[in-house]
Amino acid sequence: MRKGSEKMRKDETHPLMKDWRILVLIAAVILSVVSIYLLPPAFDKGIQGNVQLGLDLEGGSWIQLEYKAELVTFETTGSVEELLIGLSEDLDAEVSLVDTNTIEIRKPFTREELEQAFAQYGATITRYEIGVGTETAETVKRILEEKINRLGTRDAKVNTLTTFGGASRYIRVELAGVDMTTAQEIVGQQGRFDIRIQTTGNETEHVLYGDAITSVGNPAQHPIGSNNWGVPFTISDDGARALRESAIRTGATDRPTDHELMMLLDDEVVYSAPLSADLAARLKVEEVRNLVASTGVGDDALNRAMILEIHLRAGALPVDVTIAGSGSVSAALGEHFKTMSIIAGIIALLTVGLVVYYRYREPSIVIPMLLINTSEIIILLGIARYFTQLDLAAIAGLIAVLGTSIDQLVVITDEVLHEGKVPSPNVYLKRLSRALGIIVVAASTMIIAMLPLAVMDLSSLRGFAIITILGVLIGVVITRPAYGKIIMAILSR
Amino acid sequence: MAFDLYDLVNKYPPQQMMAIPLAIFVIGLMIIGVNFMFTGAPVSLGIDFAGGTAVTIITDDTPEQLESYFASYPLISIGEGLNRGNYLRFGPMSDDQFRLLSQDIGARYPDAKVDQIGESFGETLQQQALFALLISFIGMSVIVFIAFRTVIPSIAVVFAAFADILITAAIMDIIGLPLSLGTTAALLMLIGYSVDSDILLTTRILKRQGKLEDKLSNAFRTGFIMTTTTLSAVLALLIVSWIGGIEIILQIATVLLIGLIVDLINTWMFNAGLLKWYVQSGRAAKEVRR
Repeated sequence: MRKGSEKMRKDETHPLMKDWRILVLIAAVILSVVSIYLLPPAFDKGIQGNVQLGLDLEGGSWIQLEYKAELVTFETTGSVEELLIGLSEDLDAEVSLVDTNTIEIRKPFTREELEQAFAQYGATITRYEIGVGTETAETVKRILEEKINRLGTRDAKVNTLTTFGGASRYIRVELAGVDMTTAQEIVGQQGRFDIRIQTTGNETEHVLYGDAITSVGNPAQHPIGSNNWGVPFTISDDGARALRESAIRTGATDRPTDHELMMLLDDEVVYSAPLSADLAARLKVEEVRNLVASTGVGDDALNRAMILEIHLRAGALPVDVTIAGSGSVSAALGEHFKTMSIIAGIIALLTVGLVVYYRYREPSIVIPMLLINTSEIIILLGIARYFTQLDLAAIAGLIAVLGTSIDQLVVITDEVLHEGKVPSPNVYLKRLSRALGIIVVAASTMIIAMLPLAVMDLSSLRGFAIITILGVLIGVVITRPAYGKIIMAILSR
Repeated sequence: MAFDLYDLVNKYPPQQMMAIPLAIFVIGLMIIGVNFMFTGAPVSLGIDFAGGTAVTIITDDTPEQLESYFASYPLISIGEGLNRGNYLRFGPMSDDQFRLLSQDIGARYPDAKVDQIGESFGETLQQQALFALLISFIGMSVIVFIAFRTVIPSIAVVFAAFADILITAAIMDIIGLPLSLGTTAALLMLIGYSVDSDILLTTRILKRQGKLEDKLSNAFRTGFIMTTTTLSAVLALLIVSWIGGIEIILQIATVLLIGLIVDLINTWMFNAGLLKWYVQSGRAAKEVRR
C-alpha cells in the first residue's frame, strides 16, 4: 500500500523532478557519494571511504614544535650589512635578512636584549615576533618530511603554523598509526652521515663523518645564472685535512674521474660524484673548507640539490626547537571514538525526527525534513573530504550543523504554513523568499562567527569551523531551496 | 495547553518580561567579575589555554587507583564518564617529567588518549581565541545592522548574543567547566544560534503585517520548536559523548545545551519584551516606514 501511494506521488510530482533546485540536490548527493567512495575507489577503506580522518579517530601522534628564533623588523639610518655582521658576532647567532628590513635570528632572545644589540648600530626594532621566515619554515618542513619518508612512515602531515604577523612560529607533525614514543624518536632523531672516497673498483674508504660538516647552505647556482645547481657546505679544519690527505693518498687529485666522492646517510648512498678539476687542483696545494656538492643542470638538479641539503644536515634542523605540545591516540581508542561518533550522529538525527514529528504530526513533512538533513550531511562530507580532515571537533560541528539545518527547515515550514492554510503558489513563493531571507541572514552570521576560527591556525578547531561554514553554505545554496520546493509539492497535493 | 505556552509572550508587560533576563545578566556579570578578581581570567582556563596535559583512559580502575598510580605527577582532576571512561587533567610539567608520564601511561594504559600543551603555546592559543571571539562578535554585529538597518532592534539582537555568551560563561564557572578550545568553539557557535532565533523574531514582528499578539505568539511557536529541536540534537550528542567518554564533544555539547536554554530566556523574554515595547511605543512605525 505504501509503495502504491509513493508511486502515485512520484507520478503526480513529475514536474518536481524537472525543477532545477531538486536536480541540483540530487546531483550534489550523487557527486558526493562518488567522491567519497569512487574517486578514487575506496571500497577497502570501510565506511569513511575517502573522507580523511583526524588523528583522534584514526589513532596516531602529533608533535608541535616551536622555533627558538625571532623575526625582527627594524629601521636604521646606517648600513644594513654592517648591522647584520655586527649582530651575528655580538649575539653569536645565525642572522639573515628575509626581506629589505626584516631579519631572522636563529637563537632565542627577548625583545629587550635585541633592542640593546640593535641600538649599538643605530637601529631600532619596529616589530618583534617569535618564529622564522617563510623560507626557513619551508626548509624545516622539507627536512621533517624527508626524514619521515625515509623511515617509511605511511601517513604523515607536516604543517607550518603562522601567526598574524606572518612569522612561522610553530610546526606541527602528525603521524598516523605511530605511538608517542616512536613519534618523539622520529622527530628528534638524527641520521649518521658519512663521506667516503672510492679507492679501487668498488672499494671505498672513510674520509669524514657528519660532525665535521660545520654549516650547510641553501641550494644555489654556481656560477649564478648558469642554472647549474649545487649545495654549498663548509667542513671543519680537521675535516679539510682529512679530505686533502685522502684525496692525495688515493690519487683522486691526479685522476679525479676514477675516485668518486660518496656521501652516505645511514649507510645508503645519497650522493656520488668525482672531484671537480678545479677542486682537485686546489687540493694538491692546500686544504679546502668550502665545498659545493654539484647536482647538475635544470629543475631536476634543483630538486636533487634540495634533497641533498637535507641529507647533508643529516636530519638536523637549521633552527633549534622546543616541544610546544603533543598528543596521541591509540588505534583502538580511535576506533571506539569513530563508532561513538557514528552512533551520536544517528541518535541525533532520530531525536530531531521525533521532536519534529511531535510538533507537526505529519510524516509527509517529517520524512522530507530528515531526508534533506541526511543528504546535507552526505554532501557536506563529499565536499569536506577535499578540504579538511574529520576529527572529533569537526564531528561536533557536523551535528551542530544538523541542528541549524533543522532550525531553518522549521522556519521555512512555519513561514509557508502560516495559519495552517496552504497558500496559493504566488503567496507561497513570497513567503518562501521571506523565509529564505531570514535564513540567509542567520547563515551569514553563522559563517562570520566561524570565519576567524577557519582562517586561524588554532590547531584543532579549524576542522570544526570549516565543517560548520561548509554546512551552512550547502544549506543555503542547495538543500533549503530544494526543501522549499518539495514541501510546496507535498502541501499542494 | 500548547496554545497557552505560545501565548505566554503576550501575558506580561514588556518591563516585567525584560526584568528577569536583565537580573540574570547582572548576576552573570558579577560571577565573571569575581572570578576575574580571584584568578585574573574571566573564566577558569583549561589545559588548552593554561598549559598542561589531558589524558582520556577507558579502564575499570577506580579514580582512587588512578590517583595513586599518577601520584608523582601534578594531577588536577579526574572526571568520570559513564562506561569506564576517565578524563584526567594534569598541570604544566617539564619535558622530562612529561616523557616519564608518557611511559607510565603507555605501560599501564596503552589505549589512552594524551594531549599535552605547553604554557607558551597555551598563551598563543589564548590570544588567538580571544581575537577570534572578538572578530566573530564584531562581524555578527555588522551583519545584524546591515540586515535590519534600524538601531533599537539591532542593538537588542547584539545585546542578546552578548548576554547569551556572558551568562553561559558564568554558568560554566559555577559548574567548573573550564574554557578550552572546544568550549570556545561552542561559545562562537552560540553567536550563530542566538542570532538565528532573534532574527526570526525581529523579522516576524517588524516585517510582517498583522496583530502584534499573533505575530509574537506565532514567532514564539516557531522559535520554540526551532530551539527545542536543536536542544534535542545537542542532548543526544551530550549523552552519547558522555557514555563514549569523548571529552571534547561532551564539552561542546554541554556549553551548547546551557547556551541554548539561556538563549530561550534572552530571546523570548528580553528581546520579545523589548520589541513589544518598541512597537507599542510607536517607534517601530517611525523607523521602519522611514
